[in-house]
Formats: sequence, C-alpha cells, structure tokens
Amino acid sequence: MDTLPPADAFAPAAEDSYLANNSSGRPGTASVGADGSLKLKVDEPQIHSEAESLYSSFSSPGRTRFNRLYLIGTTSTVLSVDALKAAIVEAKNGKDIKNYERAVRALAEVAPKEPEASLDTVWAQNLQRNISAQTERLEHELRGYKNNLIKESIRMGNEDLGNHYYETGDMVAASKAYSRMRDVCTTPNHITSMIFKMINVFIERNDWLGVASYAGRLRTTQAKPEEMARNQPKMASALGLSQMHSNQFFEAAKTFLSVDPSLADTYNEVLTPNDVAVYGGLCALASMNRSELQRLVLDNSTFRNFLELEPHIRRAIAFFCNSKFRPCLEILEAYRADYLLDLHLQRHVATLYGRIRTKAIQQFLLPFSSVTLDSMAAIFAPEVVGGQARPTGTMSPFVHELIGLIKDDVLDARIDLEKGLLVSNQSDLRNEVQAEALESVRSFNDELHLRTLRASVLHAGLQLSPPDPERKTGRGRIAASAGKGPRGQGLAGY
Amino acid sequence: MASLNEIVVASTEFGNVVHPSAEAYDRQIRQHLSFLRRALSNQDLNSVLNDESVFDKLDPSKDSITYLLILRHQIKAAQEKAGKSTPAKLLPIGGLWRRMAYYLENFEPVQTRYVGQEWRQVVEVFAQTAEEFSQPILATQVIRDAILRLDPSSAVFTSTHLLFARLCLRAKTYSCALPVLKRPICHIPAALNGSNLRSAPLLCDDHQSSLAFLGEKSGFSSKLSHKEFLEYFLYGGMIFMAVKDWRNASHFLATVVSMPSVGVISKIMLEAYKKWILVGLLETGKLNTLPSITPSHASKTYHTLAKQYVQLAEAYERGDSRKFQERFDSGEERWKQDNNTGLVLQVSESLTAHFLKRIKKTFASLTISQLLEQDTPLPKDPAAAESIIASLITAGDLKATLVHSSNHSGDTMLRFSAGSNSSRLSHELDVQAQLKKEKLMLEVLMNRIDESKHNLALSDELVDHLRKGQSWTGAGENGADKDDGADIEEDIMVDFA
Repeated sequence: MDTLPPADAFAPAAEDSYLANNSSGRPGTASVGADGSLKLKVDEPQIHSEAESLYSSFSSPGRTRFNRLYLIGTTSTVLSVDALKAAIVEAKNGKDIKNYERAVRALAEVAPKEPEASLDTVWAQNLQRNISAQTERLEHELRGYKNNLIKESIRMGNEDLGNHYYETGDMVAASKAYSRMRDVCTTPNHITSMIFKMINVFIERNDWLGVASYAGRLRTTQAKPEEMARNQPKMASALGLSQMHSNQFFEAAKTFLSVDPSLADTYNEVLTPNDVAVYGGLCALASMNRSELQRLVLDNSTFRNFLELEPHIRRAIAFFCNSKFRPCLEILEAYRADYLLDLHLQRHVATLYGRIRTKAIQQFLLPFSSVTLDSMAAIFAPEVVGGQARPTGTMSPFVHELIGLIKDDVLDARIDLEKGLLVSNQSDLRNEVQAEALESVRSFNDELHLRTLRASVLHAGLQLSPPDPERKTGRGRIAASAGKGPRGQGLAGY
Repeated sequence: MASLNEIVVASTEFGNVVHPSAEAYDRQIRQHLSFLRRALSNQDLNSVLNDESVFDKLDPSKDSITYLLILRHQIKAAQEKAGKSTPAKLLPIGGLWRRMAYYLENFEPVQTRYVGQEWRQVVEVFAQTAEEFSQPILATQVIRDAILRLDPSSAVFTSTHLLFARLCLRAKTYSCALPVLKRPICHIPAALNGSNLRSAPLLCDDHQSSLAFLGEKSGFSSKLSHKEFLEYFLYGGMIFMAVKDWRNASHFLATVVSMPSVGVISKIMLEAYKKWILVGLLETGKLNTLPSITPSHASKTYHTLAKQYVQLAEAYERGDSRKFQERFDSGEERWKQDNNTGLVLQVSESLTAHFLKRIKKTFASLTISQLLEQDTPLPKDPAAAESIIASLITAGDLKATLVHSSNHSGDTMLRFSAGSNSSRLSHELDVQAQLKKEKLMLEVLMNRIDESKHNLALSDELVDHLRKGQSWTGAGENGADKDDGADIEEDIMVDFA
C-alpha cells in the first residue's frame, strides 16, 4: 500500500540555509521538525492568486487537485482551513480513503471545531466495501478475458483495473496492472496511452527517474509523425518536471521551453500551461546566462504563448537581461509565497532563488573592477540598508553571503572593508603560468623518481612480504623491522 | 725490511705507470692487488707493517690500494690487540685516525673500485670511532666527500648512505648531508643479476652509470634489505625537516610510505606516514593524497593506525581552529610517544599563517577586530593578535601591511598586498633559475631511467617473462610477482613518451 508521502518531507534541508539566513521579513519560514524533516510554514496574507483561482484551474478532478489543495492546507496559515475543507470535499468525491483521512487529520489539527474535522466513518466503510467489490469484479472480468485470449479485451481489462487502483491510491498495484498492458498492446496508440498512465503513477510516487525513462520511451514508439506531434507537449512537460526534480535546472529549462503551446488544457491532471511558464521561466533564470535568456526565452516565439499567461515571469526575465536586478528580485520575492504553495515548486524555491540571486550578483560585478559594498547592498539587500546601523559590517548577512560566495570560488573578488569595496582579483597570467610550469615539472620529477626507485626496489627484491610462518616468532615482522636509530633524539631538537 | 721496501717500490711503480688502455690497466691493478694480498698475509711482515711511518712513504692519490690494504691491516691488528672495536689508537687523538681521514680525503676512486669491501670497512670504523668519541661531527664531512668522490652521481644506494644519514642526524650537521641527499638515488645493487656477470664490464673503465662498479659483488655495500632502504629515506626526510625543506622532506617520506609490499607494512613506514602528514600540512596546508603507487592495503592500515594524525590534519585543512586545538590537546600523549611533539607544535604555529592566507583570499583589508570576528586561531585580545600578525609580516610569511589610524581611537587596519614585493626582474631570474634546476634534475632522472631499462633488460626476470609470453601455460605465483618489474618499466616509458 503505497501512499503519497507528505510533500514537505522532501524539501531539501541542506539547500535551505539560504532561506533560513534570509528569513527576516520574508514570507517563508522554515523550521526543522522533531523527526528531522523540514516543516515549512507559509505565513503570508497576500497571496497573489486567490485560493479559489489557485486550484480552480485544475479543472479535471483527480489526485493532483487533492494533492495541491492538501499542500496549501498544510503549509499556508491563512488559507489552510479553506483549502483543507475543499480538499475534504475533493477526497469525498474520489475513492481514496487514505487521502480523506489525511485531510481530516490535518484539518483537526488546525481547526478542530469545524464540522468537517471529524471522520465520516459510515461513508468510509461504505466506500471501502464498494472498492473491494469493484476490485473483485474487475479482477474476475480480467480472468475471463484472459481465458478468451482476446488481446484487446485483456488490455482494456488491465487498464480498467489500473485506473481503479490509481483512483483508490494503490500505486504499486496500479503500476503493475499498467505494465501488464505492455504485452497486449497492438497499436502505437495503445503503447502511448499506457506510457502516459505509467508516467502519472510515477509522478504520484515521486519517482522522477521513472518519469524520465518512460518519457524517453515515448520517443521511441513507432507512432505516426502527427501522433508524435500531438504527444510532444505532454511528454516534454512531464520530462521537464522530472528534470526539475532531479535538480537539472538547465535541462529542465530547455525541455520546458520546447513545450508546444498546443498543450493548452490537455494535461491538467499534471501541469497547466501556467505551470509550464513558471517552471520554465524560473529554471531558465537560475541556469542560463543573459544572452541565453534573451535568445532562448524572450525571443522564443512558442514559449511566448506560455509567458503571456504569467507576465510577471516575463518581466523578471526581461529585467534580468537588462541588468536591472533589483526589480527582478523584487518580483520574484513578491511571488515567493505563491511558489512555496506550489506542489512541484515548493521544494525547489530556495535553491532556484538562491541560484538566481548568486547569478545576479555575478552578473552585476562583471563590468566592475571594484564596486562599493553600499551600492551592492542597495540592490541585493535593501531591507538591511534600512534596518541596520552598519549595513556592510562583517556581521551583516549580506557580507556573510558575499564571504560565502568568495569562499566557494563563485566570486573572484576580495572584500576591502577599509574602503567598503568589493575588488575583483587581478590575475597575473605570466606569474600563474610560471608557477604552474614549475609545479608540474616538480611533481613530474617526484613521480618519476618514485617510480624508478620502485622498479629498482622490485628488481633488487627488497619489497616487504609477510614473514615466513616457520620463522615467525611472537613478534612478527612489523615489530622486528622497527629500526634502531636516532629517531627520538633527532626529533627532539626541532 | 726488504719485503716492506718491495711493497713501497711496487707501489711507487704502480702509481707512476701510464696506462694505455682500460684492459691493460685492469690487468695491472689485478696483478698488483694479488701481489699485495699475498705479501700482507705473510706473518713476518706484521711487526714492520704495524709501524705507522710506512704511510709516509705511500701516496693514496696515486696508489690507493696499497695504502688502504695496509691501513685495514693495521686497524685490524690494533683492534685485536686491544680486544675491542675502537682502541685508543683509532680515536681522533690517535695516529691511525689521522691516516684514515687522510686516506678518505685523498683516495683515487678508480682504483678503489677494486677494494670495495676494505673501503667500506674503513668508513664504518671511522664513523663508529667518531661516535664512540661522542664527536660524530668530526666524521660527517669526511664521509660525505668520500661518498661523492667514489660516485659523484650518488645514484646507487649503499649501506654507507644509511650510515652517513644516521651520523648526520646524530651530529646535527643537517646542511652537510644535503649534497648527498639531493642527488636522487635511483638504483639498488641487485642481488640477483647473475646473468650479466660474465659480460661484466671492466671496473676501471669509464662508466655512464655508477651501478657498473657499485654492484652487489663490489663489496661497497653490506647486504641490503628493505629495512636499510626505508631507514635511509626516513632519516633523509628528517634531515630535510630539520632544515625546513618541506618539499624534499615530503618526497623522501613519500618514498617510504609508498614502498612496495605484500600484505604487511613496516613500522618504519607507519612512522614515516605520521611525519608525512604533518610535513604535508606545513608544505601545502592540506592533507596530501598518498602517492598513486602506494599499495592499497598500506593506505588502509595507515588510516586506522594514524587516525589521530589524520583527524588533526582534517581540522587544519578546514581551518577549524577550535577543533584543531581540541585534537591537538587530546593527542598530546601520542605526539610524545611518537617523538613528533616538535613537529606538531610547528604545525600548530603555522595555523595562524595558514588562516591568514585563507582570509587573504576573501578580504583585501579589514580591521583587527573584524578579523577576530571570524573563527580564528588568534588570541581574542586585539593587541596580542596584532603583535602576532606583525611578527608574521616581519618574518616574510605574510605579505601585508598594518596601518594604525591617526586618531588613536580606531582599530588597526590590516591590508593584504596583492602582488609580490620583489621586483619583476629578480622574480623572473629566480623562476628561470628554478626551471633550469628542475630541467637538470629531469635530465639526470632520464639517464637513470635509461640505465634501469638496460639493467632490467638484462635481468633473468625479463627472460622468464618473455619465455612465458611465448608459451603461456598459466603463471605460478612466483612468476606473477616477478612480472611486476618489467611492467613497471614499461609504465615509466609510457609516462615519459
């Protein structure tokens, strides 16, 4: 019985230091729970998209809709009651009892007095009975089809059974049922549909390698070109999603950018076009340089269709390309809360924002040989400038961030605290080459000598070997070979 | 008396002879040698020979053989008479000491090749006497010159090398040892090259490689085992440590650490490993990786047995001064036991400089109090920290300046200078000289490799290997071992190509 683990358990703890560092005045706060997993709480009254609109876009009712609602309910403090109520309604429409119980438990924690906060055991028992009966019936039918040896019927039987398991939340059984369809698929169409079912299951299980491998298989089916073209958007968005979750942001960005606008609302059970725009835009911002952003994102006519749905992403990218980092970061900050409530984006927001910020700092420094810390702080840490007496002292978080970047070799610069400057390093190429040449010839000589000696040692038969068992006395060779000599007194002198 | 005269005359004749060819010279030396050996075994001569005045009639730079044999004879007689190995006559105040020193300073290297065993015995007695007399310093320079006189390249390892290194450590004459240590040792007299004895070259000929006359049969070295080899390189490393030449020390110790071995390691290797870690910290500031040829079982054993050292090095590398201090304190007993306290203390002292080097990468300038806000090994008191930094700058370990603010209220500013202080030209010259030196070293090593290749090509192992290669019927364990030599030879040449 494999149920979806709570999504917040996956938030990468290591990458969250940035978030924790900058938590002052930011909407996202993180705290580490007793079990070591990261609990994320979003405490921000101003969510740009209303809760209703946030989930109404997932028009096809299904597991995704419940998952998104549940996530909002468990992470947002403002929307939690509404979202959880909606999630309970959603779960009652569906057939997954576990989901229903989870949602009710979550609601009971937040608002125990609500009428929905108590389990509807009668409903649950009824549903349980129904489900078992249906499972029984479908399996019986499948056995009948198998006896008749009609491939098409077997396939449909398996598909029905898979769908049933999927709806009731038994992902392991669902993937087994779907994979049994493979042998009885007769047309490329069947294979395609089977693969999409599998991808859905993998997404539900957070198995992103599985998604990637099945998305790859989709490409090798012998479907007609027009079929392929029709599948492309769905396939690309699934692949992009899996790449994003594997932290391959550059690849993810490229994949999302290639999604055809014909995606429209055809894949709402997983991704909406708005998601494609946001995910693609953020991944691109985090991984591409300015010319790539301009060329591959802003000048990309197909992706423009998506960007029009989320104009602020477009604005942020445009600002970045024009080196206006302050407005770019401001836009992203304003939407941080929204993205922290997003099912897929939540666990990557900190990483993505951190990378975008680092890249912005790098790009900002590019034209300068030295730049004042104050002017940098004004762009990258305005709240610090306003609130602190010494905005650019060693203890200020912004300077700490810079020190970290320099130590990680991200920035090739040094901080001059006397003059309040960030000075880029001037490298002396001639010196470097000379030092390198010397070092390489030295290490080569050393290695050469070591190896020649080794050959001589072996030639002379001096290598150490285990002592002969007959001659072995109590002490053995190791003890015996400790030489006498002036070791002790020799060292005392220095 | 007639007999002694005979010897002296023969010696003078021999010394004055002009030798037309190597073959003739070889024949002459051998004849002379057999004549002398016969003469010296004559008991009647004993009383005459034990008279030291005989040396006044002989000139070791013309005829080393006669001088050496009589010297050896007298030493033996004196030892037998006194019943101990270092009779008074041999001590630096005695007459024979002067004769030995005179001989070692003036012997003729080509002739001496024929009397290797006697030469070695004299050197050993000489060193031993100096030590008994508690004045090892008297012997070091003489022995060093003798080693280099016999073999200017010092490429062949002999037991004399070990003796010399140990003596230098005892005498604390470290810089005296450097000329020998800095010449790379590349050969070890092999015990099993029986096949090339028949075609052995003439000892007195001009040889590219000193291995030709310092071979195992020459008697210049006592029987060698891995122990002597390891000890020499450990002592060498320690001598380099004493003169703070960390790079060479590290190389010498690496030689010990990477000694080929099967299943076991020597305690000397473990000891070298501990020192090697500390020296690596002083040289590069980090935990070096073991040479690639280190046997894997050895590196595992090192890691478990020298855990405290590894942990100390890790703390140092991260610049974590608190942890370093913790491990430094907790390991105090161990450092003491291993006689490494002095070295560990030096590592601890270098921590500040190491820390400032890292800070230099991040900051161009900062005040002392800002510096102390970082995790530092410096004392918390700004004035004390400032004086430590000042002393580092004065010693040239740190390129930086300290600036006091004029109004006496502010902090002292520490500013790191970016470029080197020396002028461009002197820097260039310096680099050029160093490159030249390394090039020379490279050439020397290349020659040594050619020699090694030649030796290995003549060895029994290669023949066995080739034969096996022709009819491969499964290698016994013995065969597999021996293949190593040939394989490594190929490896070296690949590297070089």
